[in-house]
Amino acid sequence: MALTDELEGLRSDTLERVARAEDLASLDEVRVAVIGKSGTLTSYLRNMGNVAKEERAEVGKAVNAARQAVEDALETRRTELAAAELDARIQAGAVDITLPGRAQQMGSRHLINRMIDELNDIFLGLGYTVESGFEVETDYYNFTALNAPADHPSRSMQDTFYVKDLSGDAASVRGESDVLLRTQTSGAQVHAMEDWELPIYMVSPGKVYRRDVADPSHLPQFHQIEGLVVDKGITFGDLKGTLEYVCRAIFGPDRRTRFRAHYFPFTEPSAEVDVSCAVCGGEGCRMCKHTGWLEILGCGMVDPNVLRMSGIDPEVYSGFAFGFGIERVAALKYNVPDLRMLLEGDMRFLRQF
Amino acid sequence: MLVSLKWLSEYVKVPEDLQAFCDRLDLTGTGVEGVEQVGDAFANIVTAKVVGKEAHPGSDHLWVCQVDVGACNLDETGQPQPLQIVCGAQNFNTGDHIVTALIGAELPGGVKIKKGKLRGVASCGMNCSERELGLGSGHDGIMILPEDAPVGMPLAEYLGKSDTVLDLEITPNRPDCLSVTGMAREVGAMYQEDWADPLLDAAARLGLAGEAPADRVSVTIEDATRCPRYTARVIRGVKIGPSPDWLVERLAALGQRSINNIVDVTNYILFLYGQPLHAFDMEKLADAAGNVDVVVRAAHAGEKLQTLDGQERVLNEDMTVIATPSAGAVALAGVMGGLESEVTEETTDIFLEAATFQPGRTSRTSRNLGLISESSMRYERGVDDHGMLERSAAAAALMVEVAGGQVVPLAGEGFIDEWPQPSEAPHLTFRIKRFQEFVGADIPSSFTMDTLRRLGCSAEDTGEGTLEVIAPTFRPDLEREIDLYEEVLRLWGMDRVSSTLPASPHRVGARTPRQLINMKVNEVLRAAGLNETMTYSFAEPADVQRLRLEEGALGLAVEVLNPLNAEQSIMRQTLLPGLLRSLSYNQNRGVPNVQLYEIGTVFTATEGRKNPKERTKVASVLAGHMLARTWNSDPAAFDFFDGKGVLESLARELALPKVRFKALDADEAPYLQPGRAAQMLAGGIVIGWVGEVHPLVSAAFDVDGTVVAFELDMDALQKASQPARPFNDVPAFPPIEVDQNLVVAEEVTHEKLVQVMSSAGGKLLESIRLFDVYRDDARVGAGKKSMAYTLTYRAPDRTLTADEVERAHERVVKKTASATGAEVRG
Repeated sequence: MALTDELEGLRSDTLERVARAEDLASLDEVRVAVIGKSGTLTSYLRNMGNVAKEERAEVGKAVNAARQAVEDALETRRTELAAAELDARIQAGAVDITLPGRAQQMGSRHLINRMIDELNDIFLGLGYTVESGFEVETDYYNFTALNAPADHPSRSMQDTFYVKDLSGDAASVRGESDVLLRTQTSGAQVHAMEDWELPIYMVSPGKVYRRDVADPSHLPQFHQIEGLVVDKGITFGDLKGTLEYVCRAIFGPDRRTRFRAHYFPFTEPSAEVDVSCAVCGGEGCRMCKHTGWLEILGCGMVDPNVLRMSGIDPEVYSGFAFGFGIERVAALKYNVPDLRMLLEGDMRFLRQF
Repeated sequence: MLVSLKWLSEYVKVPEDLQAFCDRLDLTGTGVEGVEQVGDAFANIVTAKVVGKEAHPGSDHLWVCQVDVGACNLDETGQPQPLQIVCGAQNFNTGDHIVTALIGAELPGGVKIKKGKLRGVASCGMNCSERELGLGSGHDGIMILPEDAPVGMPLAEYLGKSDTVLDLEITPNRPDCLSVTGMAREVGAMYQEDWADPLLDAAARLGLAGEAPADRVSVTIEDATRCPRYTARVIRGVKIGPSPDWLVERLAALGQRSINNIVDVTNYILFLYGQPLHAFDMEKLADAAGNVDVVVRAAHAGEKLQTLDGQERVLNEDMTVIATPSAGAVALAGVMGGLESEVTEETTDIFLEAATFQPGRTSRTSRNLGLISESSMRYERGVDDHGMLERSAAAAALMVEVAGGQVVPLAGEGFIDEWPQPSEAPHLTFRIKRFQEFVGADIPSSFTMDTLRRLGCSAEDTGEGTLEVIAPTFRPDLEREIDLYEEVLRLWGMDRVSSTLPASPHRVGARTPRQLINMKVNEVLRAAGLNETMTYSFAEPADVQRLRLEEGALGLAVEVLNPLNAEQSIMRQTLLPGLLRSLSYNQNRGVPNVQLYEIGTVFTATEGRKNPKERTKVASVLAGHMLARTWNSDPAAFDFFDGKGVLESLARELALPKVRFKALDADEAPYLQPGRAAQMLAGGIVIGWVGEVHPLVSAAFDVDGTVVAFELDMDALQKASQPARPFNDVPAFPPIEVDQNLVVAEEVTHEKLVQVMSSAGGKLLESIRLFDVYRDDARVGAGKKSMAYTLTYRAPDRTLTADEVERAHERVVKKTASATGAEVRG
């Protein structure tokens, strides 16, 4: 049985070579040499015709068994070597994952507009629309329609910027001009009361101007957001509930609010709203001047005169209005030490937000 | 306004808990801006008794005393322990009651008391003289108190000087609160306590005596709108001198310096009742015949008056003066008296004015002259014309009390009273249910009625759900029903109203199309790495020249009539200068990589129009690099195409149709570098410009290096943008890509090549992407460039064959060559 012995020799020899193969390439060499087209084992198969008839079955079986064994061994070894090679590749590919990622710059939103975005979202959620209005207004929309007395100091050239009136009209209130840089965004609300259908639920965020020289706590231009609601059956409780919600939404759920009666020509009754101081939690500290409270906004029920001036019957409709300075809220929230930073455009400041 | 609680508490019960009282004041509308403890100057200074006195062993004039300070010094068992004090005074004996400053005290002169030794003997305090305490000039020795003086009591308390003074913010609608009695009424309403009005009692003390001056005195009001009421009294034979201590102290507590007994009385009545008074030296008003004919009239334009503060004031016709035919203007009505007729030591006869003047005029006069007085502050808010005679009677009676003399009969009575325009108390109806609905709280009508009455209203229940209310004339702010609501609500307490949200179903919150565009633009610019900033809306007229523009090239500027400075005298017409200034600011601080943008308003005036045109612009400046070089990236310095790339992203995000960039020449955009400047158009609408800033403009704004900038019009962007985009099927069949090199003359633009290729390629040519631009005099040729494109061919309904693509591509190359002179090179 020399043939079967030969085959056995080839089989064991091949298995040994498979086991010795160190990489996929040399393993493939073994495959080609043994079971490739002209491989040693393949040649036995090819030469089966020369095998004596009575031995054929036995030899054939032995050849097939050898081939099966070789194929199995090749596959096993191939899997082993592939895994080892992948492993090596992975190991070689390891990086210092603490190196910085591929740099790409996301731009930043200006702090004030970030605050306005936040506020707009709060009010959109409450069902308000947002309307900003124009920055140059007439005296009527900025003061008169809001019940401000003709002699009110805020109307003076000292406090309000006036611009040249090119219409040729004679100024009715101030000396030279009835056209001014708005000192509040309330004008947008008067336009809304005149032009919109009721009910009105609106906020007007925007830039306003007051004649203050820029210093750490003043700017001649800053931002306000004012709100106006006019509907049937609006109560002071609604005003309170709305602003309490808004203050918590801005400053956090733990902050308390209090309403202090106050006076504004545009509203009656009027109040100022304080939020409990975040620094001391209401105990009193330097930040809140030892009162435990920070003044945030002014508000009140819309004065019937204001409604009437805009053609709304105060016997049928009531409403509330409120307004606050964005810069103040931002300064309180982020401890901005000097408001002028908001207008300098210093990249090192802007990119913090 | 300052309010002494000691004084206030004579008329109403003031709560003992100061903090709670201040909180209640704050919440009901009287802001507390400051609290001052007046007795603080005497902290650690107490009454004491000398219980032992021995000669100092090392001195011939010092004494070693044992001083009983009661509970102020205790031994270990808690028993009072006398202090040992070395004292140099010679005017005291054992058993005397004295004043002792304890260790830690600071005397009014600034001397701090510390434990020390005098010539070897320990001394634990100091016995004080009057002068050391600031209580007088006595310095002959230490202050000796009466025998019944307590021991160990704080001196402030013993002297009755302990007081708390509140600084209150009185809102402009509450002139009634600018007085002690007004605050007493307010506090009474705050706590539902009764208060005692001292006025009736004071007026009752006034008696008339002496000889009537017959027709010597008259008052004429020329214009009743300027002066609704003017009353006068005459007090003769007064002796001008210092005021009694109690009066000096009252005024001092409110920060008012004592002047003389007559002037002090006018100030005292002013603070007590809120009634400004003026005391004239009557002799100075009289004419040669001794007649006093006072006229209240408009000032003449240019008329001059030297006011009490010594300044000469030039008046105008808007101002009101008190005048006599002989002396001319003697006082600026409601604001300040004249120096000429002021009360001096020689004065014997007083002409006492109590009047009311028009608020608006007083306010303007005061502001125009920069002269704010206690009087003007009250007149500009409104002084009650009722009750004036009683207040002036109280003043006259007090003057007689402190300065002697007699109030003489005038006009058959004790006064002259010109009252052409009495104010009327408004009658109001208060609807109880409507009020409750308006507030959203069931505030009982009994509380409402009680509160209104305590505030000085009369209030009667009609039994039909309403109250008939008559508001007092000292409350000019109570004119309408709503004004009463405010009063009741604030005193009920806003904190007691439950919080609700409006119940209306008729509302939706939504952003307008304009806001949505604004949001998108912001998102794109931030995603592109740009940082939002804000700059001043004001501009400098010279900015136009800095931008190398002709005068008026940006349209008519909006001029500010009262600018803060010349650099901010017009409203901006472009955002570029502000951004260039911010860029310079960064560069000057060592920040080279700057990417700023702003969305803001620009203003253009129009002749004949009141309001200017406001447009919203978005602008940006880019300088340096997007990022500093890092270990795995090396960004290129900004150039024109960074700006253009941002605009292309915007165009994509806003779905702008048919976007084109058209070269701008030096005349069209002198602020940009020619050859690196373009106008952006979308669907034929001009959107704005992009380019590299002209080096001369950069220099004018103190900016270094290349600056890429753009400015777009937000309205144009909104107009051109298409909210809904058409959907195109995702390709189902594979593309065939062909790379093509075209060598063209420099003048042939990319846009032109793309146009020609697109039209030649027809439907099968899906896209054209430029991947290289190459210039080389030797290999490409001078004045030429090699443009390398990838052309993507695809059919929507089948896989293209190589033949089809070859035919199509050949056509593209041929047509491009003939239309542009392009040569194909390997």
